[in-house]
Amino acid sequence: MSDAQAHDPSIEEFDTAPGDEHLDGSGVAQGVIGYLVGLVLAALLTVVSFLLPAANLVWPPSIPVALIVLAIAQMGVHLVFFIHITTGPDNTNNVMALAFGVLIVFLVIGGSLWIMSNMNHNMAPMSGTMQMGP
Amino acid sequence: MLGKLSWQAIPFDQPIPLFAALIVIATVIAVLVVVLVKGWLPYLWREWITSVDHKRIGVMYTLLAMVMLLRGAIDAVMMRSQQTFAFRAPGYLPPEHYDQVFSAHGAIMIFFVGMPFVIGLANFVVPLQLGVRDVAFPTLNSVGFWLTATGALLVNLSLIVGEFARTGWLPFPPLSETTYSPGVGVDYYLWSLEISGVGTLVAGINLVTTILKVRAPGMTYMRMPMFCWTVLASNLLIIAAFPILTATLAMLLLDRYLGFHFFTNEAGGNMMMFMNLIWAWGHPEVYILVLPAFGIFSEVVSTFSGKPLFGYRSMVMATMAICLISFMVWLHHFFTMGAGGDVNAIFGIMSSVIAVPTGVKIYSWLFTMYGGRIRYATPMIWSVAFMITFAIGGLTGVLLAVPPADFVLHNSLFLVAHFHNVIIAAVIFGAFAGYTYWFPKAFGFRLHEGWGRLAAIFWVAGFYVTFVPLYIVGLEGMTRRLQHYDVAAWRPWILIAAAGGVLTAIGIGLQIVQLAVSIRRRDELRDETGDPWDGRSLEWATPSPPPAFNFAVLPNVSGEEPYWGVKQRARDRLKLSEEPEYEAVEMPRNSPTGFVCAFFATLMGFSLIWHIWWLVIAGAVGAYATFVAFAWRDRDEYVIPAETVARIDRANRQAREAALARLRRDQ
Repeated sequence: MSDAQAHDPSIEEFDTAPGDEHLDGSGVAQGVIGYLVGLVLAALLTVVSFLLPAANLVWPPSIPVALIVLAIAQMGVHLVFFIHITTGPDNTNNVMALAFGVLIVFLVIGGSLWIMSNMNHNMAPMSGTMQMGP
Repeated sequence: MLGKLSWQAIPFDQPIPLFAALIVIATVIAVLVVVLVKGWLPYLWREWITSVDHKRIGVMYTLLAMVMLLRGAIDAVMMRSQQTFAFRAPGYLPPEHYDQVFSAHGAIMIFFVGMPFVIGLANFVVPLQLGVRDVAFPTLNSVGFWLTATGALLVNLSLIVGEFARTGWLPFPPLSETTYSPGVGVDYYLWSLEISGVGTLVAGINLVTTILKVRAPGMTYMRMPMFCWTVLASNLLIIAAFPILTATLAMLLLDRYLGFHFFTNEAGGNMMMFMNLIWAWGHPEVYILVLPAFGIFSEVVSTFSGKPLFGYRSMVMATMAICLISFMVWLHHFFTMGAGGDVNAIFGIMSSVIAVPTGVKIYSWLFTMYGGRIRYATPMIWSVAFMITFAIGGLTGVLLAVPPADFVLHNSLFLVAHFHNVIIAAVIFGAFAGYTYWFPKAFGFRLHEGWGRLAAIFWVAGFYVTFVPLYIVGLEGMTRRLQHYDVAAWRPWILIAAAGGVLTAIGIGLQIVQLAVSIRRRDELRDETGDPWDGRSLEWATPSPPPAFNFAVLPNVSGEEPYWGVKQRARDRLKLSEEPEYEAVEMPRNSPTGFVCAFFATLMGFSLIWHIWWLVIAGAVGAYATFVAFAWRDRDEYVIPAETVARIDRANRQAREAALARLRRDQ
């Protein structure tokens, strides 16, 4: 065909998996520090979510909301420090995949909850004596 | 020792399955004997069974689909003939056998015909169209194929040992729970789909990674051929939807094996949740099958009209819109289950909305043909038949998307006619168009035109004669899956539908004849240049069949339809581009990992179905050991020297030079 360059070094640079060390072997220390920071943050969030309901620090009805916030923060820590989702130019596919995944999860879980609650609402009320089944 | 397995599992008292089983066993033994006697086994093992070449794996997927199409078609003929005889009579199939036949027909046609056909064509074509040498994960690809084959094997095993599910192509609880289906039929269904589902997921991950990460230099997203876009969308849907199927079937397995109550009547189970989840997978599944078929039609229509695809960008938009909206319509499969008006209305509207991007596609194909120099070769005949037939199926689909109409037509033969209308017209016709179109690329010779056209005509006629009567009896109130009936008004239509079944069967017979004739006359049908159809995308830049490394030098893409540009330049200047500098090529080594994994998965599946627990453990240990052995392998590539690459490429350049010389003479 034409004189194509099969091995473009600049492409090679971008062709590493997220979180890989550089090809020359540098960046291992940086990587370890990243994982340690992630571990500390994740552990911290876990500990807080156990302490919060027990410690009587916040207004009790707000505890479920606080736990949800902590859970989402936990997911964020995992994504950034362990799964290496960043906003870098070589990371667009991962961000897009994450967005697609979140959208599908939202559609399927949200849709299922909506559909099933609607069906439960429409069901004729069953008394305890009207047990179906064999 | 052998769990539930005993001699009673073999259907000695039922002549039809026993006879069918004997024919299958005899055929398999005959094939094995021929392979062993002729000494083909080493060749098959080396070149096919352990191959990690995407082209070989694609061919094997397609072959699996075509063999299973024969099995599914025999089931279809049995159903049509049963209804022919069962008017005020019991017919020749007892109900428990008839129920297995329609369950097996649906499951096989979707999971073991449609899926392997589109995945096989995608596997074969996508790396060639992207201008690269292989897929992202070659060995994983082989594992995916062999796990799919395991699923198909288990389904067919149920013919001989035990029974298949009698619960329809989707095993709705509570019928599929142990209370009402105590036999092994549902377990056969569940385990074969769990295993082949893993294979499909693996194939999906592989193809998405290939398209996103492995492309020729300069092959940007908006320069990819339409088929690659549709395969990308379809495989994104596989990754998103197949885990739902796997999880739902796993919950049913827990119900059946460990006494859980996800979908049971009692103890807080909710079988409506099964319908909800299975269709949250089931509707995207429709588009997983149909989107690659749309891609095939885009390639075929553009090639045989001699024009670039009309509205490429809007086609990309339409494909990705379908990819998203297909996840927002699943409730239209169970409008009648009892959700409120607002839920039904929203999903009804979304179901109508998804017809819009599909309509965009139909117009794009029509405008591609408009003003083109159309050649009605066999792939183009399938495509035109598709456009007309699919438009009808789409319209009945929009009708069924209206909840009040659906309440009347739900579970009638009108619905059966509708989904056969869209699936046969799009997926099956598309698969046949792709099979005819890419066959010369895979094997180096074209399929015979005359027999191909005749087969297409019989198929299309057979489709209409079968399913138009089913639309009519559906409107007259005939429900699906009837083993016998006594309404005289339905009788003539059922007889016409049976005649349609005969026409379709003749179509299939003609396709077998076409293949046999083409193989015998392969020397006169030979494709010398590698570009038999005057193609436009990069797969036609390779020789037919392509060498293991596809491209001697990776193409440098500088626009849409890169091969068409190169070819026009060569035609204008009446000479090929300069000979490139050849370099050695590294290719992945073959690996038996996929085959060995599937062997252990088959053992595991079979022993789980029959509760042979020690064999389950042995199978699991074997499969894990295979994985570890593969992971420890340290030589995973071999080198093809530059001289070999040059020799293979020069032969093809010579053939193309000769074609240009003919062109020079004609001018």
